[in-house]
Amino acid sequence: MRAKVDLTQLFKPRAIAVIGATAKASKVGRIVFQTLIRADRRVIPVHPTETTILGHPALARIEDLPADIDIAVIATGADRATEAAEACAKKGIPFIIPIAGGFSESGPAGKALEERLRAVVKKTGARILGPNTLGLFVPQERLDMIFVEHGDRALAQGGGVAFITQSGSVGVEALGLESTIGFGLRAFVGLGNKADLDEIDFMQHFADDPRATCVALYAEALPNGRAFLEAAEFVSRRKPVVVLKAGRTPTAAAAASSHTGRLAGSDRVVGGAFRQHGVQRVFDEEQLCDAARVLSMARIPKGNRVAVISPAGGYGVMATDYIEATDNHVPLTMAKLSDNTVERIRQVAPLFASLNNPVDLTASATDDMTVETLRAVVDDPGVDVVMCMALFAPPGITDGLIRRVSALAAEIDKPLVLVAQFGPFTYGHLTRFHDHGVIGYPSVARAVRAVRCLVERAQIVAQHGGHQ
Amino acid sequence: MTPVASWLQGLSRPSLPDEWEVKQLLARYDIPIPKSVRLLANAALPDLSFGEPYVVKVCSPDILHKTDRGGVKLNIRKETLAITVAEMRKLFPGEALLIEEQLKLSGSECIVGGLVDAEFGPAIMVGAGGILTELYKDVAFRLAPCTPQEAERMVEELKIAPLFEGFRGIRLDKKGLAAVLVASANLVADLGERFSQLDINPVGYAEGRFVALDGKLVLNPPA
Repeated sequence: MRAKVDLTQLFKPRAIAVIGATAKASKVGRIVFQTLIRADRRVIPVHPTETTILGHPALARIEDLPADIDIAVIATGADRATEAAEACAKKGIPFIIPIAGGFSESGPAGKALEERLRAVVKKTGARILGPNTLGLFVPQERLDMIFVEHGDRALAQGGGVAFITQSGSVGVEALGLESTIGFGLRAFVGLGNKADLDEIDFMQHFADDPRATCVALYAEALPNGRAFLEAAEFVSRRKPVVVLKAGRTPTAAAAASSHTGRLAGSDRVVGGAFRQHGVQRVFDEEQLCDAARVLSMARIPKGNRVAVISPAGGYGVMATDYIEATDNHVPLTMAKLSDNTVERIRQVAPLFASLNNPVDLTASATDDMTVETLRAVVDDPGVDVVMCMALFAPPGITDGLIRRVSALAAEIDKPLVLVAQFGPFTYGHLTRFHDHGVIGYPSVARAVRAVRCLVERAQIVAQHGGHQ
Repeated sequence: MTPVASWLQGLSRPSLPDEWEVKQLLARYDIPIPKSVRLLANAALPDLSFGEPYVVKVCSPDILHKTDRGGVKLNIRKETLAITVAEMRKLFPGEALLIEEQLKLSGSECIVGGLVDAEFGPAIMVGAGGILTELYKDVAFRLAPCTPQEAERMVEELKIAPLFEGFRGIRLDKKGLAAVLVASANLVADLGERFSQLDINPVGYAEGRFVALDGKLVLNPPA
């Protein structure tokens, strides 16, 4: 496997320099500086003419920076960024993050600039993240250099997902979407053009980071395919790895003269390769975040038998259909509740309830009934995962359900996934559940998909070894 | 030295193996093949060590779709073999022929193949075979080389997986097919840079084992 790059200082820098910091409104150099000074560490602006920036004295030259700078964030355009990177490396700054685009993605001139960045790495040993990147966001370190909106409310609390993305936009949009419910973010890493550091380096870093409980990756090109899989399998033995691989590569499918070549189409090999190496695959940004949320928070189930509890028959029926769908390589099955469990539910359920899986407590359901029924199915040895529809329309269901279900979830050793759905209140409820460490989704399909992710993880652990 | 190197040296046309040569390579990797004799152009029909019925095929790397061109004759009896050989030679002058034992097949046919993915390198495939293969696209892939456990999981991913578990009384040999996959993956990996594409199609089930009934291998020219 590729030698691990020590990224400790990148994630815990002593001091940060912002090259091209400025007081000029709406400039990237201002937004980045403004965001970074919220961190509880020294941030030093560098600008050739501005002497004070947002109240902070600025240095005119990179050469004048103190010796304890661990990261130089470069907020200038590509041309000057390249020169600045050379100066920073010469100064001995270990990590350099050129934010600007205008490199290899933009044509021959930009390609030449990116070559110069590569030469910096080769010559000096400084490491470069980017260019063309949003950089890093590490909530627990209050380290944030993302200069666009990025759904900060729930993210700011931090969490277990190490989110590595080649596309900055896909990354921040996805986080924005997910933060409406809540999303436990360990770190956001924008890879950009990957002139130097790439997904393998960061995956290897997060493998050893005890606070990272799941690695989520958005990648377009994986040019070091085998090395990537090797690293991914290594990480997967310790924590879940979920990957959205976009941009299907032509395997010369059209030109293939064999059946095999034509059947491979553009990316069927990817699915097989991922399974072979313990990588969980998703196909869009919602799936990526949904999977990362549940994989980073939930316990891994012992099997694939799901119990469903609902105060509305229809939701139980829908869930059953999704659970028993056979067009999937991770089969789920409806748990068969024991006689004892059914009897326990009978004791608490309303008269017309349906006592077998899916359990329908009907609109007469109350908080007590829901919690007691949950307890009964959790205790059933024939149940591996519990899904519960936390619908707040029934009159007997109150706000107190959130606290009580959360308390129960904290003491059980089986994963619990909720569905909450009731118009504009949904997200409020889901967010509060999330804040209590309970995983929920605003639709049955997404919740069942999350359960499938957990069962797939259990399969991977069984097949490839590893823990969690 | 892998079984590949000496095989490459022995090819009658460098980089262009014919079906017989491909099958000899498969046999070196312990993939079962039918008993067969390659009859070069103008060679006399020898005494055969295996019994009728026979399959007679044109055996040339230049003819890709031999069935479409009448290049495969089935159910040939001993007494009509000489006539069939003469007819085939008229149809394909100058080409070699392949005379094989015709196996009694049961169950479903599969396809086993190999290819090179642009990002991940050499890979193998298993799928439901026969003429509808490309219509159903019931296939699974893994990278080469591949463990026996992964090979079995490939088979389990197929829609036809129940045929290996007793569906309607059919119980094909999963471990046997997995062994063909592992061997194919080793072969593909051993070929290294020379490997481009492999089709073993169909792989038939006969007398309790999977047999490579046809084989096509595309090689890259040596670097």
